[in-house]
Amino acid sequence: MNLNQYCIEDIPRREFLQKSIKGGLAIAATPILMSNLMSCSGQQSFSTKITLDPQMLDKTIKHALKNGGEFAEVYVENRISRDIKMEESKFKSGVFGISQGAGVRVISGDKTGYAYTDDITEEKLLRAAEVASYIARGTKPVAPQNIERKERDSFVTVKLPLNRVADDRRLEVMKRANQAALDYDKKIKMAFISYYDEVRGRMIANSEGLLISDELPMLFFIVQTLGEGNNTRHMSRERLSRHSGFEMFDEVSPEEVAKTAAREAVAMLQAKDCPAGKMDIVMQNGWGGVLVHEAVGHPLEADNIAKKIGAFTGKLGQKVASDVFTMVDDGTIPNLRGTINFDDEGTQMKRNVLIENGVLKKYMTDILSAKQINMERTGNGRRQSFRHIPIPRMTNTFIEKGKDNPEDILKSTKKGLYVQSLSGGSVNPITGMFNFTCRESYIIENGKKTIPVKGATLVGSCLEIISNIDAVGDDLGFAPGICGKGQMAEVTAGQPTVRIRGMNVGGSKA
Amino acid sequence: MDYKNLAERLVKKCLKKGADAAEVYIETERELSIEVRNGDVETVQETSAHGAGFRIFVKGKMAFSNCNDFSENALDNAVKSAVKFAQNTTPDENNVLPDEKTITNVEGLYDPEIAKIPMEKKIELAKEVEKLAMKDSRITKSAGSGFFEGEGEIFLANSNGLVKSYKSSGCALGVSVVAEKGDQKSSGGEYCTRRFFADLISTEEIAKKAAKEAYSMLDPQKVKTQKAAVIFHPDVAYAILGGILRAINGEKVLQGASFLAKSMDQKIATDLLTIIDDGTRAKGMSSKPFDGEGVPTQKRVIVDNGVLKGFMYNTIVAKRAGVKSTGNASRGGFTSLPGIGSHNFYIAAGESTPEQIIRSTKNGLLLKGVTGYGINPVNGNFSGGANGFWIKNGRIAFPVKGLTIAGTAEEMLNGIDMVGNDLDLNRSFTAPTLRIREMQVGGE
Repeated sequence: MNLNQYCIEDIPRREFLQKSIKGGLAIAATPILMSNLMSCSGQQSFSTKITLDPQMLDKTIKHALKNGGEFAEVYVENRISRDIKMEESKFKSGVFGISQGAGVRVISGDKTGYAYTDDITEEKLLRAAEVASYIARGTKPVAPQNIERKERDSFVTVKLPLNRVADDRRLEVMKRANQAALDYDKKIKMAFISYYDEVRGRMIANSEGLLISDELPMLFFIVQTLGEGNNTRHMSRERLSRHSGFEMFDEVSPEEVAKTAAREAVAMLQAKDCPAGKMDIVMQNGWGGVLVHEAVGHPLEADNIAKKIGAFTGKLGQKVASDVFTMVDDGTIPNLRGTINFDDEGTQMKRNVLIENGVLKKYMTDILSAKQINMERTGNGRRQSFRHIPIPRMTNTFIEKGKDNPEDILKSTKKGLYVQSLSGGSVNPITGMFNFTCRESYIIENGKKTIPVKGATLVGSCLEIISNIDAVGDDLGFAPGICGKGQMAEVTAGQPTVRIRGMNVGGSKA
Repeated sequence: MDYKNLAERLVKKCLKKGADAAEVYIETERELSIEVRNGDVETVQETSAHGAGFRIFVKGKMAFSNCNDFSENALDNAVKSAVKFAQNTTPDENNVLPDEKTITNVEGLYDPEIAKIPMEKKIELAKEVEKLAMKDSRITKSAGSGFFEGEGEIFLANSNGLVKSYKSSGCALGVSVVAEKGDQKSSGGEYCTRRFFADLISTEEIAKKAAKEAYSMLDPQKVKTQKAAVIFHPDVAYAILGGILRAINGEKVLQGASFLAKSMDQKIATDLLTIIDDGTRAKGMSSKPFDGEGVPTQKRVIVDNGVLKGFMYNTIVAKRAGVKSTGNASRGGFTSLPGIGSHNFYIAAGESTPEQIIRSTKNGLLLKGVTGYGINPVNGNFSGGANGFWIKNGRIAFPVKGLTIAGTAEEMLNGIDMVGNDLDLNRSFTAPTLRIREMQVGGE
């Protein structure tokens, strides 16, 4: 069943499921398949490096194509993770997980068969191959190539490997953030610090002869602060995430993250009701890029294009946005959260210009959709874990920087809404209708930021919004996020300061 | 594998490795997912999985680990890791495990028939529902149909001698289609989820609803920014219930991070609002005999004719608040610690028919879709994108898209002036049609 809505943001997973999986199963046992925050290890050196007999993978691929089909793949994954929470200045919990498993996929025409196993043994892999090949029964088999090890460029550098960092150092970072948040202002009543890291080992083998493996470290650090005053409360949030080693905290200090969060919580206690109706929007650089992630990025993922139902179907080569608008998806930017050495199908990552000066140039593909629409593989085949089929997903997606001075953009806007940050949003990739919730925004009067207003909603249609962007700043910035499309993916959204004319704003004031 | 025995054995292993108290949560499951598009199978996924979560207490400090590898070596490592990490967390006298040995008797959680029905029949059902949804000439494309099934078993044991398990199943059938007219595109979908295969509603009914949802939104008209009545269709129950659910979380209440923190036994809504949380309903999609840490589930009144009557607690938060667990420990599977969550959470049915509600509305919005996060649980603010139908003089006049609505929980809950009798308890997070007297609607 298709999801009608994709969303990116921080809704707790349970709610995400309730909200957006139309037709998903809500049985008690399902979460195993939906979540995979695995974890585990103390100082003993657990390794995520996958060492498997290539013979076994070869055999599995051959078995998967025995009944027919044109493509088969084995994806083996191993993940060690730590998830620590601090609330009310206490370390509430620490979760360690070790998870491993392998998925076998068979493609035959437009059909996909998939099965996975937790146990990586020859017997279980062959059984998974058997199940996955169900959809290919009776078709003419394509002979698989013998697998051969390949290497790919790495875009992730590590100075301090996570498996060599003592737990104390993780706790220390959290304590520092907690203290900095509480010290920021006495209106900060509490800080919620969430620390997550993982190392994901991958090995991919397929019937095209590919055999490739790597290990990807990731850190995700979130500070939320609760501000109280003026008879109201505001929960703010700041996130820091990279594919890198623990040196991330030397480059951006936990205090800096905490202060950014605390500043928002205090500022928003002054928020007034936001007016409703059409307004010009100036969106600050950084996480505002989630706007194009939703409004343009999802509709440019090739799965719905291949189905001929996506909002941008048939528009390749056409002018779809204003001249100042160029949008890029680039999984090679060193160490960003959306960066990956190769996608989860083993395709080389690269910089993909999707829309160039307003002209639609490219869709984002995985192996299946690339074949279906007869386009190149762009390196966007990603999956949450071995429990999921790869589908076209974004990596680091952003509006390319323009020529305008961000201050001038604000100054030249007589009236409108200055959106400093967004919580997140969602889009219907078929109709292109999207929405965003503002996290921090201010009324613009005569080219100046004035009073803060309560979390307003912005709505519109994707084709409309990119035609209405009339100013693009030179201050490109990035911020990390979680993207949900039936399965989760780690992404980065980015943009310079931009102005969008005439968006519908949902405020509580007439 | 005898998982119950394994769970008990693993509890002993935890104690042996240095835990003062321990809980082992084992989950096994099997799932089948079939997706069909344009009359042919698009994907078939069949999976089975298991995993164990270990909650460990050492001198009042708590830690958790999990793994999906059941070899003795891997289980040993998982337990050792949790014991070791427990040294790092902050001790808390409230860190205790439940000891209630009973379970609530809940009927109809497991259907042994689902697994026995051949795959071909399930594929046929998905094909049929798609074909029927495409029958209407206004529907131009299929976004796919699907059949899903899953079944699983949960085993829970802790060092207070508690050992429990239950089996559950579920299946779903649904379809999503697109209606096009000129440049316009409109999507619609409908699905049915049940514990028992035989309880799935007919393919005709699902198909008809999906098609209608798509074509009825064609040719939307614009409306001006204004204050107007808003009728919440059952499909958008989340917009109201989500924020309330998070605001009655006992931990958020203690932390002061809830707009309802100081409202116990106070009137928070009009008399027409009654909210229930029911973990015991037979065949309920979110029913279960015990919660995520083994406490028997109950049926509780959360809001009684407008008066807030209950917060939700798990064992640890309840002890801290000086109350008893309400059986609301929620668990996102074996990989997570118990949090706090609802079971079948719903607004009780009222007296009006949905037609009466529409007929008595002079000017307003029938809200069919709402985007955004619903009511903010911390401060009660609400703002979202909206679509649905505009109502003029008691009749549906035309579809509307790309609107916004906003307000506060206080205004909304105290503005409920009609509640429908069309509650569908087959959904687990639901409400009947209800009307809010006036909200700010943003348009042209």
